[in-house]
Amino acid sequence: MSFLQPWLLLALPLIALPIIIHLINQRRFQTVSWGAMMFLLAANRMSRGYARLRQWLILFFRTLVIAGLIFAIARPLASGWLGGLAGRSAQTAIVLLDRSPSMQQRGEGTPVSKLETGRAQFTAALQTLGTEQIVLLDGRTLEPHLLQRGESIADHLASQPMDDRSDIPALLLEGLQYVEKNQLGQADIWLCSDLRSGDWQADDGRWQTIREAYRRFENRVRFHLLAYPQGAKDNLTIEVLDARRTSVGSEAEVLLSFRLVGQRETSERREIPLEIEIAGTPSQTTVEMSGPELEVRDYRIPIAASMAQGWGRIAIPADANQADNEVFFVFQQPPPRRTVIFCEDRPLADALRLAAGIAPASDLQVEAQIVTAEALETVPWEEIALLLWQGPLPKGDLLAQIERMVGRGGCVMFFPPTSLPGTSDRGAVEEEAFGVRWASPTELAGEVQIDSWRSDADLLSQTQSGQALPVGTLKVRALVSFEGPSTPLATVAGGGVVLARVPTTAGAVYFWGTSPTPAASTLASDGVVFYVALQRALAQASESLGSARMVEAGSPTAQKMMVAGANGWEKIRGRQQTSEGDRQVATTAGVYRLGDKWAAINRPPAEDLPEVLDDATLDRLFQGLPLDRVDGQAGNLAALVQEIWRAFLLAMMASMVIEAALSLPQRTTALQVDARRPAS
Amino acid sequence: MLHNRKQRDYLDPHVLSRLAGLSLFARRPMQGNVSGKHRSPNRGASVEFAQYRKYVPGDDLRRLDWRTYGRTDRYYVKEFEADTNLRCCFVLDTSGSMNYRSQQWSKLDYAKRLVGTLAYLAAEQGDAVGISCVADGIRGALPPRRNPSHLRQLFEILDTTLCQGGTQLVPILHELAETTAQRALIILVSDLFVPPEELRSCFQHLRFRKHDLAIFHLLDPQEIRFQFQRPTRFLDLEGGNPIFVEPSEIADRYHRALEEYSESLQRVVLETAVDYTRVSSDQDYEQVLIEFLTRRMRGRGG
Repeated sequence: MSFLQPWLLLALPLIALPIIIHLINQRRFQTVSWGAMMFLLAANRMSRGYARLRQWLILFFRTLVIAGLIFAIARPLASGWLGGLAGRSAQTAIVLLDRSPSMQQRGEGTPVSKLETGRAQFTAALQTLGTEQIVLLDGRTLEPHLLQRGESIADHLASQPMDDRSDIPALLLEGLQYVEKNQLGQADIWLCSDLRSGDWQADDGRWQTIREAYRRFENRVRFHLLAYPQGAKDNLTIEVLDARRTSVGSEAEVLLSFRLVGQRETSERREIPLEIEIAGTPSQTTVEMSGPELEVRDYRIPIAASMAQGWGRIAIPADANQADNEVFFVFQQPPPRRTVIFCEDRPLADALRLAAGIAPASDLQVEAQIVTAEALETVPWEEIALLLWQGPLPKGDLLAQIERMVGRGGCVMFFPPTSLPGTSDRGAVEEEAFGVRWASPTELAGEVQIDSWRSDADLLSQTQSGQALPVGTLKVRALVSFEGPSTPLATVAGGGVVLARVPTTAGAVYFWGTSPTPAASTLASDGVVFYVALQRALAQASESLGSARMVEAGSPTAQKMMVAGANGWEKIRGRQQTSEGDRQVATTAGVYRLGDKWAAINRPPAEDLPEVLDDATLDRLFQGLPLDRVDGQAGNLAALVQEIWRAFLLAMMASMVIEAALSLPQRTTALQVDARRPAS
Repeated sequence: MLHNRKQRDYLDPHVLSRLAGLSLFARRPMQGNVSGKHRSPNRGASVEFAQYRKYVPGDDLRRLDWRTYGRTDRYYVKEFEADTNLRCCFVLDTSGSMNYRSQQWSKLDYAKRLVGTLAYLAAEQGDAVGISCVADGIRGALPPRRNPSHLRQLFEILDTTLCQGGTQLVPILHELAETTAQRALIILVSDLFVPPEELRSCFQHLRFRKHDLAIFHLLDPQEIRFQFQRPTRFLDLEGGNPIFVEPSEIADRYHRALEEYSESLQRVVLETAVDYTRVSSDQDYEQVLIEFLTRRMRGRGG
């Protein structure tokens, strides 16, 4: 129970008033000379159970009347989660909305989404509480918006649904910054989310910062979490895995790979109608789905031969969540996959060219070029997808150019130099690239096998059919260690790193601890693993070369596109329900065009994952912070905070009536005194 | 008729004059010594036929009904009712409880009005009146006489009587039943704060002695309603221990006790054929007396 005017509860001792009056009354007795003592004595001898109880009941109801009145004027609130909100309604409320696509899921039998429900409930609650200052934090720009009095949260641009995932830790940090910047004495942070693990990023290191920073405010900043963790049973999501144009003779077609995922474990066969739109021309088709998931590879869609590149859209029928029912894609003839090889060791360079120059598919154009140190300056880096480097690490302008290439989405693989260049006094090589530098050769006891490798992601992951690459058969004879931040992908027994990835915001940088020469390893002789790894890196990197790209909303690539194109991106096709004012390329799903560049922005696939935070994790995230949580349901617009003074007033009136009824003199059985009554 | 000039507030001449047309009758034959308005257990000469009775030797031959003898050839004596006066004995309760008043008159004041007026009426019609003032004993007594000066003495007793002491009504009534000559009209004016079952034997005793018992049961309206607002300490007018009670708490039980008492008393008076009149001291005593006298007249007629 919480109150809007809690200081009025100071008057609660007044409930003792009837008891005090009763006691005073007991002391103010009168003395009467009385004749009919025999009746009084007889009455005294009778059981006084009910009479005594009646007295207590009367006192109790009188107390209740006063208590009801005091509680009513203290304006009580009916809410299970606003325990400590009493008396704090005049403070600032910072509203953080999870606007990710999963929040657009509708409740059963209602057209209202989780986001709409949350907005409406927040608006009503804050209005009831009479909060003076409502700050809405934009999950996209992380900018605070101060709502004017009477302005609804739902009407604000910063509360509209978006196609990007929500970064809850970032929102909380922004809220923290707002509290600190404005030196708010007290603030309530109102958070509405469906608790999707992807949005909350429970393992993110920022949570530690958030907890520690908010703990400094002690109880002055409180969190109110309105959670909608309930998933939809029959929701189906669609995701495009790949879309590319290919030519078959004189005809052209789009090869579309997509995946349908249902939220329900079922073996029932069902037909899913698909609406496919290519450059504005719609068509219908149906796929059969018998399990919870269906993946379609290279679904052929004929297009005009003259269409070198274009866009499309694939959609499934409406279900619980409209936001995950359509995906946009762009396609084009795959650009040539260009590889540049710089090697000190000529035979190794040939081996690398062989591995990089053989196309994995007939319609792919693959080029691999060996360059000398002098020719490096003339390499057109903007057209290069993959750089294979064996030798001393690049430096100066060359390194800057390579970094730009990686930043654009390109990929670099470094192999150990033939001889380690000059070492510093401490024994380490001085040159470094991407924060990593070669260290020293690792002593190996003859041939060693690769002991462990990442088979779930990256270059050495399992094939699409689920088979593992034969990494374990590889043998390593020479290994060079390197220092710097990197994630090992393959290691030999004893911990020597064979392959590692250096973390970058875009593109990819790999360091090999060995080289494919027969003296160093069997990478070349057992060439499957090396070829696959190389081609995977090439395929990944070549995506950045094309003029048509499919990017995730809110991803760094999308952000960069927005920055690069400023507001020049033209929206070709977008979701109907996206608001008019929302034209931000980075976070709004749709097809965009800037000159000859095409981009399809879609929600991140992580948004389709139904995993939500469990209670223990949530408790851990907010450990030591004052958090009130209430679980809602989409479409349930019952007020979060409801004034219930009427109930108390009614209770008071009822108590008054009961008290009056109890206080009424008993139906008198006094004698009928009538002189005319005959005695017999 | 009254020669004293003393103003007695319990005697209202207007009331007396209005009641003068009514007579006080006994419900059963009374035994007086002179002729009067009341039936006598003896047969006498009057105009009111009583019965035929077989002649027995010793009967006055003048009373033989010759006509009947002519018709039936049997000897019958024709008897007529004999009217006589009565001895009216008032028993006035003067215990402490009779002193209670919640309004203008105490119960004793009211009782004096009833007794004074009835005594006057009885004396007026030639009946002998006497009085016994009782509390924890007989405080004052005047045997029934029928001369007007005797009435004055009765009024003197009424003037001087005071309420004090407890009630010993039961033994006193037994005593009066024995000491009063048979076939008298006994009018008891009391608040009867005695267990009704104890009164039963008194009433039966009086009935056995062929007395006609009439009771005016006097109660104060406050004693009936018991309406007190504040906690109250009740001091016993008859000298018992005081009681402290919360009236609102005890009122219903008080009323229940009063009701039980009343029902019990009602049962006793019905079974002992007592002429019982319950009177609240806020009632108009003239009206009470009119009802009483009228009822007794009807009783006589029946």
